[in-house]
Amino acid sequence: MDQLSDILTAISHPSRRAILGQLARGPARFLDVAEPLDVSLNAVTKHLKLLERAGLISREKHGREVMISVRAQPLQMVANWVHEYERFWNESLDQFEQYFKDKKKKEKKR
Amino acid sequence: MTKTLDFKFERTILASPGEVFDAWMNPEVPGTTWQKAEKFKLDVKVDGLYYWHINGKSIYGRFTEIERPSRIQYTWVSPNTLGLESTVTVTFSKKGESTLMTLQHSGLPDHELAMGHEKGWTHFLDIFPNQFGMRKSF
Repeated sequence: MDQLSDILTAISHPSRRAILGQLARGPARFLDVAEPLDVSLNAVTKHLKLLERAGLISREKHGREVMISVRAQPLQMVANWVHEYERFWNESLDQFEQYFKDKKKKEKKR
Repeated sequence: MTKTLDFKFERTILASPGEVFDAWMNPEVPGTTWQKAEKFKLDVKVDGLYYWHINGKSIYGRFTEIERPSRIQYTWVSPNTLGLESTVTVTFSKKGESTLMTLQHSGLPDHELAMGHEKGWTHFLDIFPNQFGMRKSF
């Protein structure tokens, strides 16, 4: 999957959004992240993996502890994706591309 | 300085760069900005001006580079750019029997992001089911 799909998947689950919300206040350890959530540690690990795959969190070792922090930058991709110009140009270029496909088809029929 | 946004798009089109270039400047071809317009003026030459009007919005610009068949660049001034010139650069390069077309729209003021946001999400929710329906049928 492409990164945008990974990001959209990552933010599609309320628990993962809760994790991002919590991390937005500052880096935290695994157990701190898990504590406010009403799910198993196994599930938390899975959620973190999906967030990591989307580039939305990073883990860093501090001595014996691993700190998890949020990286909001990839969310810009989502914002860009829904941006007016993104849609405008994509729709225009799709039509433009289709025009050539239709033209080719007509030529073949002749 | 205001933060600006850049958008880049790519398409592979089954035709030669020259054909694709000419079509992009042809008001009768679907998908071109001119074809969408309710009213337009188009003077394709360096320093030539264009104007088009759609849904109550007017967009103006000036051609800054015309290198048929590989590249065309023009400025883009719309209500969303706050009177500033943003830049549209379109390139066409040969890729086998097709043309790789890239379109970059750069220098859009970032304030627009906030504006586009709300509209974007509602629009997205409207089109999302259709898009999926469409993709499946391919």
